[in-house]
Amino acid sequence: MADKEKILDIKDLDISFKTTAGVVHAIRGVDIDLFTGETVAIVGESGSGKSVTMKAAMGILASNATVNRGTIQFSYHHADGSPATVDILAQPKKWIRDHINGKRIAMVFQDPMTSLNPTMSIGKQIMEGMIWHFKTPKAEAYAKAVDLLREVGIDDPEKRMKNYPHQLSGGMRQRVVIAIALSCNPDLLICDEPTTALDVTIQAKIIELIRRLQKERGISVIYITHDLGVVAKVADYVNVMYAGKIVEKGTVDEIFYDPRHPYTWGLLSAMPDLDTADERLYTIPGSPPNLLYEKPGDAFAPRNRYALVVDDKAEPPMFKITEDHYVASWLLDPRAPKVEMPAELKARIARMKEEAAKHGGEL
Amino acid sequence: MAVNYNTEPLLKVTGLKQYFKVSHTFTVKAVDDVDFEIYPGETYGLVGESGSGKSTIGRSVIRLYDPTAGSIRFNGMDISGRMKASDQKALRTQMQMIFQDPMASLNPRKKVEDIIGEGLDIHHMCSSGAEKRERVRAILEKVGLAPEHASRYPHQFSGGQRQRVGIARALIMNPKLIIADECISALDVSIQAQVVNLMKDIQEETGTAYLFIAHDLSMVKYISDRIGVLHLGHLLETGTTDEIFAHPVHPYTKSLLSAIPAPNPALEKRRVAMSYDYKTSGIDYNAGTYHLLGGTHYVKCTDQEFAAWK
Repeated sequence: MADKEKILDIKDLDISFKTTAGVVHAIRGVDIDLFTGETVAIVGESGSGKSVTMKAAMGILASNATVNRGTIQFSYHHADGSPATVDILAQPKKWIRDHINGKRIAMVFQDPMTSLNPTMSIGKQIMEGMIWHFKTPKAEAYAKAVDLLREVGIDDPEKRMKNYPHQLSGGMRQRVVIAIALSCNPDLLICDEPTTALDVTIQAKIIELIRRLQKERGISVIYITHDLGVVAKVADYVNVMYAGKIVEKGTVDEIFYDPRHPYTWGLLSAMPDLDTADERLYTIPGSPPNLLYEKPGDAFAPRNRYALVVDDKAEPPMFKITEDHYVASWLLDPRAPKVEMPAELKARIARMKEEAAKHGGEL
Repeated sequence: MAVNYNTEPLLKVTGLKQYFKVSHTFTVKAVDDVDFEIYPGETYGLVGESGSGKSTIGRSVIRLYDPTAGSIRFNGMDISGRMKASDQKALRTQMQMIFQDPMASLNPRKKVEDIIGEGLDIHHMCSSGAEKRERVRAILEKVGLAPEHASRYPHQFSGGQRQRVGIARALIMNPKLIIADECISALDVSIQAQVVNLMKDIQEETGTAYLFIAHDLSMVKYISDRIGVLHLGHLLETGTTDEIFAHPVHPYTKSLLSAIPAPNPALEKRRVAMSYDYKTSGIDYNAGTYHLLGGTHYVKCTDQEFAAWK
């Protein structure tokens, strides 16, 4: 659509890490794009490269990382409103630090206790970014910080400004981290497993908070998570990652109601929903591959019960299903045998649709 | 899995209190007056947020802590106070624990066969080294590992495999009850399902009971026969999985259930979780007593609250 503005465009990103054990090829050709005001979720197991991709976009890769290929185009507006687009990978670190980190792209990390400074009051930590980036006068920054704390749902913000992180509960800390992330009015918020360390009840509140703030401020959000329940709640688009590649991407409805990749099938059925009555959970056999040892063909083939001979020889291209829905699996090739998704999953999707229709009006 | 509820319960916990004295003036009441029972071959799930006392209950039951008050009866023995030497020995063999982080709970300097066989050595359950190796091999096979894994060290395994080693270590003593404290929380989604399936298979085969402690409600619902909901050290509601999930009574249980995100976007997008705050709810957990709702479904509340919620 023409009226949508692209904010982030990652093309053919390829990153490897030099370690003592050898070269780890962590990201193998990732394409992600994101439009203003939308939410993209990146789903995958640990080690699939979700966090590395986003760290590359922030320019905060570890020092042993090498970018082999690819571009990360980030579009923003200057203070006077003129648009600009830069390739983050081509910029020097100093420039990224001055113009991108915290100012235009902000990040919320998994564990609030490790991302907050234990020796600084939270008020100071919220004001820090504004003073650093915009040279905001202290009094103004203080007033803004109090407003931010109120906005993220912390009672009695003036009193809390003087508190230290250890005086707050886990949910409150994460709210503070979100306030810090929003302090410089970023265009893009990257949430790296923002609720994994929190309890379900608090998780629900934090997610609702991020959703509300996104609507009010019209910012774009990238969610990195392994929890499909969270994805269902927040995302417009979903990218499923496996072993450094995106294996399926599409709108949230396409991924949940019409998944095509065997790995997505596995992920969806491995997590019991509240109505699962099956005796056994469907599992993906084996464990995620070690990227130290690259193998030819599809990285998922050894765990794929529908694997074809070609899977061991050549990597599957992205097959287009609809305008938004792409799948990297040879099963989608017209020459491939027709494979249906597992019956349990089919039944569950039917149940999900039914339930959604039943509750459609009243919720 | 048919659990026989007419027999004596395997574990019967009554009025369990576990306090931790922090200073002269301040005591943390981690577990306050908790009653529950586990029948042979059953899976009892304990859910609640962090700090609600779920892990403390598990640790008190296996006597890693000395309970402040209350009685714990296990397999006909009273294990709450000072135990006879024979009871202690029986407890240490018949009740086993699986911990959350397999990397932290396996000794990195020992081979897997020594980790798994340690219990056999301590309790002199094998007459020869050959017998011990044979039993370790059999148990490795049961948890889906190969015999050659026996001579490896924990760091040579993946997360899911390490948790299998943890399960093997618990199983080799032929326990009647296994306390699984967040044993799948540290694993990836696809690996979680493998471990849960394994635990279910083992239960079918050996008839062991589980005390399954977790905060992931959908997994708890899937594996448990009965569930207990904990908040701030109080067991607020307990009953069969169906009773709790279909008819939650306590406002806390309701808010907990409404907070689970379902993998169903059309539904999830519009849903707002119920919020519950103990301080503003006006409920005093200490004033509550257990009220029976039918079957095994109990809720802890005062008489007025019971009348209002029912």
